[in-house]
Amino acid sequence: MLLLPILLPIFGGVFVFREREEKTRNRLTLGLTVMTAVAAGILCALPEQSLRLMTIEGSLYLALQSDSLGKFFMVLISGIWLPVAVFAEPYLRHGGKGQQFQGFYTMTMGMLMGLALADNFVTLYMFFELMTLLTAPLVLHGGTPAARRAGLKYLGYSVFGAGMALAGYFFLSHFLTDQSFTGGGALNLPLAAAHRPLLLIVFLVMTIGFGAKAGMMPMQAWLPTAHPVAPAPASAVLSGVITKGGVLAIIRVTYYLFGAEFLRGSWAQYALIALALCTVFTGSMLALKEKSLKKRLAYSTVSQVSYVLFGLLLLSPGGVRGALLQMTFHALAKDTLFLAAGAIIVATNFTHVDQLAGIGKRMPRTMVCFSGAALSIIGIPPMSGFISKWYLASAALNFEVRALGYLGVAMLILSALMTAGYLLPIVVRGFFPGRDVLVERREVGPRMTAPMLVMSIAVLVLGLFPNGLQAWISTLLPQIF
Amino acid sequence: MQWLQALPILISVVLGIGLTILQPGERKVRNAYIMGSVMLTAGLSFAAIIAAGMADTAPACTLVRFSSEFSISLRIDGCSMVYGAIVSALWPLITLYSLDYMSHEGHESRFFGFWIASFGVVLGIAFAEDFLTLYLFYELLTLVTLPLVMHFMDEKARYAGRKYVVYSLAGAAFAFIGIVFLLRYGTTLDFTYGGVLDLAKAAGNETTLWAVFVLTFFGFGVKAAIFPFGAWLPDASVAPTPVSALLHAVAVVKAGAFAVLRLIYFGFGTDFLRGSWAQYAVMTAAILTIIYGAARALRTPHLKRRLAFSTVSNLSYILFSLTLMTPAGLVGALAHMVYHAVVKITMFCCAGSIIQKSGREYIYEFEGLGRRMPVVFGTFTVSAFALIGVPPLGGFVGKWMICTAAVLSEDPWAYFGIGALILSTLLTTLYMMTIFVRAWFPVGTVDHEALSKIHDPGPAMTIPLMVLAAAGIVLALFSAPLIEFLQAVSLNTL
Amino acid sequence: MRPFYENLPFLSMFAAIFCGVLSSVIRDGRRAYVLALAMAAVTAAMSAVLLYYVCTRDVSFVYSMGRFAAPYGNAIKAGPLQALLATVFSIVMGLSLLGGGRGLSHDILPEKQGLYFVMADLMLAGILALIYTNDMFTAYVFIEITTIAACAMVMAKDTGPNLIATIRYLFMSLLGSGLFLIGLALLDSIGGYLLMEPLARAVEILAELGRYHRPLIVSIGLMVVGLGIKSAMFPFHLWLPDAHGGATSSSSAILSGIVLKGYVVLIITLMTRVFGLELMREVGVTHILLIAGMLGMIFGSLAAMREYHVKRMLANSSVAQIGYIFMGLGLGTEFGVAAACFHILVHATCKPLLFLCAGRLSDVSGHHRSLKNLRGSAYRDFGAGVGFTVGALSMIGIPLLGGFVSKLYLSEAALESPYVAAVLLTIAVSTVLNALYYVPATLAIWVRPPWEEIREVMHDVKPEDTRFDRSFFTASALFICLVFLLGIAYHPVMNVIYAGIRLM
Repeated sequence: MLLLPILLPIFGGVFVFREREEKTRNRLTLGLTVMTAVAAGILCALPEQSLRLMTIEGSLYLALQSDSLGKFFMVLISGIWLPVAVFAEPYLRHGGKGQQFQGFYTMTMGMLMGLALADNFVTLYMFFELMTLLTAPLVLHGGTPAARRAGLKYLGYSVFGAGMALAGYFFLSHFLTDQSFTGGGALNLPLAAAHRPLLLIVFLVMTIGFGAKAGMMPMQAWLPTAHPVAPAPASAVLSGVITKGGVLAIIRVTYYLFGAEFLRGSWAQYALIALALCTVFTGSMLALKEKSLKKRLAYSTVSQVSYVLFGLLLLSPGGVRGALLQMTFHALAKDTLFLAAGAIIVATNFTHVDQLAGIGKRMPRTMVCFSGAALSIIGIPPMSGFISKWYLASAALNFEVRALGYLGVAMLILSALMTAGYLLPIVVRGFFPGRDVLVERREVGPRMTAPMLVMSIAVLVLGLFPNGLQAWISTLLPQIF
Repeated sequence: MQWLQALPILISVVLGIGLTILQPGERKVRNAYIMGSVMLTAGLSFAAIIAAGMADTAPACTLVRFSSEFSISLRIDGCSMVYGAIVSALWPLITLYSLDYMSHEGHESRFFGFWIASFGVVLGIAFAEDFLTLYLFYELLTLVTLPLVMHFMDEKARYAGRKYVVYSLAGAAFAFIGIVFLLRYGTTLDFTYGGVLDLAKAAGNETTLWAVFVLTFFGFGVKAAIFPFGAWLPDASVAPTPVSALLHAVAVVKAGAFAVLRLIYFGFGTDFLRGSWAQYAVMTAAILTIIYGAARALRTPHLKRRLAFSTVSNLSYILFSLTLMTPAGLVGALAHMVYHAVVKITMFCCAGSIIQKSGREYIYEFEGLGRRMPVVFGTFTVSAFALIGVPPLGGFVGKWMICTAAVLSEDPWAYFGIGALILSTLLTTLYMMTIFVRAWFPVGTVDHEALSKIHDPGPAMTIPLMVLAAAGIVLALFSAPLIEFLQAVSLNTL
Repeated sequence: MRPFYENLPFLSMFAAIFCGVLSSVIRDGRRAYVLALAMAAVTAAMSAVLLYYVCTRDVSFVYSMGRFAAPYGNAIKAGPLQALLATVFSIVMGLSLLGGGRGLSHDILPEKQGLYFVMADLMLAGILALIYTNDMFTAYVFIEITTIAACAMVMAKDTGPNLIATIRYLFMSLLGSGLFLIGLALLDSIGGYLLMEPLARAVEILAELGRYHRPLIVSIGLMVVGLGIKSAMFPFHLWLPDAHGGATSSSSAILSGIVLKGYVVLIITLMTRVFGLELMREVGVTHILLIAGMLGMIFGSLAAMREYHVKRMLANSSVAQIGYIFMGLGLGTEFGVAAACFHILVHATCKPLLFLCAGRLSDVSGHHRSLKNLRGSAYRDFGAGVGFTVGALSMIGIPLLGGFVSKLYLSEAALESPYVAAVLLTIAVSTVLNALYYVPATLAIWVRPPWEEIREVMHDVKPEDTRFDRSFFTASALFICLVFLLGIAYHPVMNVIYAGIRLM
C-alpha cells in the first residue's frame, strides 16, 4: 500500500511517454494524478504503516513509512498537483511537446510521494535526487539555450545542496540511535553532547544544503533563473511544491534526526535564522526591483519560503505551526499566481510587468484569482496568508532570544510591505489602468481558469475557516516534538 | 588443483598468440575462435575463483622459481576474487560487443590476438601472489595492450601509444624501488594481509620507508591515472572503443588501483602507514585528482575524452578510499571498483555505438540523437545516473561506502575527501547531464534529415549494452551479499 | 702434475692468437670467417669446460707462463668469474660474427676481409688475456693489442666519417693506455712488483704504513681513469657514439658487447685483487666511479634520446649501460661488484643483439639507418624485429629478461650503501629515460608507415638483402635465449659470480 502512490505515477508515466494520442494522454495523466491522490488519501486514512524495502549495509537501507507529517505533505501535494495538471493541458497545447512534459510531470508526483513517505535519510535522499532529476526536464522543456542553462543551473544547485546534506549525514549517522526518522530526534544524546561542535556544523551544512532547494540564501540563485524559462505549470509546481520538498527535508533533519531539544539555543540555530531572515528581506527587495513577472514571482517565492524556514528554525511548536500553515497557504497562493501568469502568456504573450496595464479588463477572471492570491501572499485578512503570518509573528515574539525574535517580526512586517509594493501595483494597474487602454476581452478557456478559481477559493476559504487545518496540525505537533 | 589458477592465464596467452599466428581468414571461424577462447578463459577463471573460495587455504601455484626468495607464483585471495571476477565477467560481454564493432576496422586477427592475451595478463595481476609476479604482469600488461591502443596506427594513435607506454613503464620504474625496499625491510615478498614489513628492521628508517612508499604509490598510481600522471588516459581514448571500454575503464586502470591496494594493505601495511605524512601526501593527491578529473571532464567536449577524465576522477575515489588505510576503506575501494567497472564500461560501449552509428564524437553534435537511438541513450542515461550516485544505483553504494569509511577513519584530512566527493558529484551531474540532456532535449533546429539515417545498432551491440545496464542495476539493488563478501575480504576472514 | 684443465685458459688464448696468425696467412675472407667462428666456438667450449671444473671444485689457480718464477714472470689466474666471463665473451664473439656475417661481406672490401678476421681473432685473445691476467705488464700489453685490433675493426668499414671516428677512438684509447702506463710505472716504483699477489701485499703494507700515500692515490687514479677512458666512462665517452655507431654491425656488437667490458673487467680485477675494496673506498675512488656511473646513466640516455640514427642511439645507450656497471662498482661492496659483473653479462648479450638486429633491419630497408626509414621494417625481417624488441625490453628492465635482474641486484646492493636514495632514484630515472627512447624505436620498427613511404624506402632495397638470413636468425635466436636465460635462471649465474669474487 505504501508503494502504491509512488509506483503508480512512475510506471504510469512510462505509458504517458509512449502515448502519442493527445486526448488519451490527457485522460491518462489526469487519471493517474487522481488515482495517486486517491491512493494517498486512502493511505492517510489508514493508520501509520512502515515498510523496509531493502538493506545493503548498516545504515544503508531503504524504508518507507506513513507518519502524520508525511500524510500532511501527501495531501498538500495532491491538492496542488491535480489543479495544475488540469491547467497544464490547454497550456501545453499552446507550447507543444506535451508528451514529454506530462510524462515527467506524472513521474515527479511519485517522487514527491516517496519524499513524503521516506522513513530514513537514504530513502529521502534518493527521492530528493530523483525529484531533482525528473523536474529538470520540466525546466528544460522550452528547448532554448536559456532553458538549458537554467536547467543545468537548477540541477547543479540542487545536486550540490543534496550532496552537502549527504556529506553531513555521513557524520550524523554515527550519532544516531535509530536511523529511521523519529519524532523528537534520534540522537544518541550522551555521545552527541561530546561532539556538539561537530554536530552543529553538520546541522548547518545539511540545512544549507537542503535549503538550496527551498531557495534559502546563499544558494537561491537557481530560482529566478529557472522560473521564467519553464512553462507556467512547471513554475507553479516548482515554486509551490518542489521548494517545499526542501522544506520537508529540513523538517526531517531538524526535528526527526537532530531533535529540537539538541539544537535549541545553539549558534547554528541563530545563524540559520539570520540567514532565513536575510533571505526574506533580500527576496522581497529583489522582487520589488524585478520587472519580469515570472521572475518577480520567483523572487517572491525565495522570500516566502524563507518565512517557512524561519518558523521552523524557531524550534517551538508555535513556529512549526506557523511554518506548516505558511507552507500550505503559500503553495496554494503562489501556484495561483504562476498559473495566472501562464494564462496571461497564453492569452497575450505578455511577460513584462509594464505590459500589464489594463490586463484586468482583458482577463477579469484570471486577474480576480491573481488579486486574491496576491492579497494572501501579502498577508491581508481575511485571506489565509494572514493567519500563517500571524502565527509566525507570535512565535517569533515568544522566541528566547528577544532581539532575534523582534528582528524577525520587524522583517516580516517590512517584507509584507515590500510584498504589497511589488504585487499590488500589478493588480491596481491591471484593473485601473488610469487612461483608456484599448481592451478586448481575451479570457482563457474554462479549463485554465477553473484550477485558478478552485485554488484561490481555497485560499479564501482556508483563511476564513482555518479550524480544520489547525486541528490537524495540532494533532501533528506532538509527534514532531 | 592449484594449477587451475595458472590455467586461464597461460591458455589465454597461448590462444592469443595462436590467433596472431594462425590469422584465420574466414570471419565465422575467427569469431568462433575468439569467443571460444574468451569464454574458455572466463570459465576457467571462474572455476579457479570458485575453487579457491571453497578451499580453506588456497595453495600457491609457482610457475617459475628463480631463487629461494623470488618466484613467479599465483594464489587467489579475496581481493583477487573480486578483481578477477569483475574482469572475467566483463571480458566476454565486451568481446561480443567488439566482434561487431571491430568488424570494419581491419587487422582483426592481430587485434583480437592481443585482446585475448591481455585477458590472461590481467588475470595474472589479479591472481599474483607476490610483488614480483604482480610487477611482471603489470609490465606485461603495458606491453600487450599497447598494440590495442595503437590499433589505428595513425599519428594520433602512435602518439597516444607512446605516451601510454612511457608513462606506464616510468611508473613501474618507480614502483620497482618500492619492491626493492620491501625486499630489504620486509620478511617476504608474498602478499600478507597487514603488511610484510619487519618492524624491527624498519625501526629508525621510517622516514625513508614512507618516502619510498609515496614514490611507489605514484609509480603504480600512474596506471590509475593519478594527478599529475594521468595525462596518458585521455589521450589513449583514440583507441578503438572496446579498448577504451574494457582497458581504460576497467582492466588497465583498475590494475593500477589494484597494485596500490596490494601495496598499502599487503605490502607496507596499514599500521605502519596510518597517521604518517606519507598517508596524507597520497591522500591529498587522490583528493586533488578527484576534483581535477571531474573539472577537466566538464570542460572536454569530446565524448570519449570526457569519459576518460571521468574515469580519472572515479579511479581516485578508489585510491582515496584505499589511502584511508582502514578495512572499511578497503571495502569502499573494492565496492567502487565493482560498480564503477560496470557503469563506465556501459557508458563507453554506448559512446562506441554513438560514434560508429552517427559518426559524431563531440557532445555538441548530439542534439536530438536520443530519439533516434533510444536503447543506446537509455542505457547511457541509466549509467550516468549510477555514476552521479543516485540511490539506489551502483555509484551511490560505492560513494556511500567510501564516505562512511572516511568518517569512520576519524581523520580530519579525510573529511576533505568527503567534500571532494560531494563536489565531484556536482561536477559529475553537470558533465553527464550535458551529454544526454542534449540528446533527449534538443535545442534549436534539428537537422531531421541527417538524424533520420541514424538508428540503434544491431543486437550484437545492444544486447551487451542492455545486459550491462541491467547488471549494473541488479548488482546495486542486491548489493547486500556483495558488501558482506567485501567486508569479509577486507578483514581477511574469508 | 697440474691437472689438464688448468691449461685451458692459456690454450684458449693461444688458440685465438694462433687463429689470428693463421688467418693472416689464409687471406681469403670466407675461410678466415669460418676459422674465426670455429675459434670462438673452441674458446667458448674450453672456457665452459674450465668453468665446470673451477665451479665444481670451487677453486681458482695461478698459471705462470714462461720460465720466470714469481714474482717477476707472466702469470694468469683463473677462477669461476674469469671462466664465466670468458665463456660468455667467446659465445658473444662467435654469435656477433655469425649474425653480422652478411653485413660484413657487404660493408668491407673483399681484399680487406681477411685482415678483419685477423683483428677479430687478436681482439678476442686480448680480451681473454685481460680477463685472465695476473700481472700488470701482461695486462698492459694486451690492452694495447686490444686497442689496435678494435680500432682496426672500426675502420674496416671504409668511409670518411669512420676514419675520423677511428682516429678519435685511437687517440682517446692511446691516451687511456698512456695514463694506465704512467700509473703502472708509478705503482711499480713504489710497490716493486708487477705480479698481482705480491703487489697487493705491497700495496697493503704501504696503505697500512701510510707511506707514499699520495703516489699511491695518484697511481690508482691514473689507472682507473685510463681504463675508464677506454671503457667510455662518463665524461670520457664522447668517442664512443661515432666509433660504435659507424662501424659494421658485427664490429659494433663486438665492441660494445666485449671490448668495453674487457677494460671494466680489468678494473674489477684491480679493485678486488690488487688494491682491495677497502682501500678503494678509503681513497675515494669508489665515489668517483659512483658519480661518473650515475651521470653516465643519465647523460648517456639523454644523448640517446636525441638520436634518430638507430645505431648511434644504441651506442649512446651503451654509455648509459656502462654507467650502470660503474655505479655498481662505485658502491664499493662485494654485492655491488657482483651486480656489476652480472650487468656486464646482461649488457654483453643484450647490446650485440640490438646492434645485430638494428643492422639487419637497416639492411632490409635499403641500408638506411635513421629510425624514420626503418618504420615497419620489423615486418620485413620478423626475427630481427623480435630480437630488437626483446633487447629493448631487457634494457628497459621488464621482468623475465636479463636487464630486470641486474637492476634488481644493483638496487639491492645500493640498499647497503649510504647513497641509497641517489642510486635508486638514478636507476628509476634512467629506466624512464631508457623507456623514452627504446619504446619509440621499437614502436617505429613495428608500425607500418603509409604505403608511399614504404615504396620509397623499398626502392633502395636489393632483392638479395631481403632474403632470409639463416645465420643471422640463428645468432639472434641464441642471443634471445641468452637474454631470457639470464632473466630467469640467473640464480646459478649469481652463485658463480659470488664464488668468483670470493676466489678472486
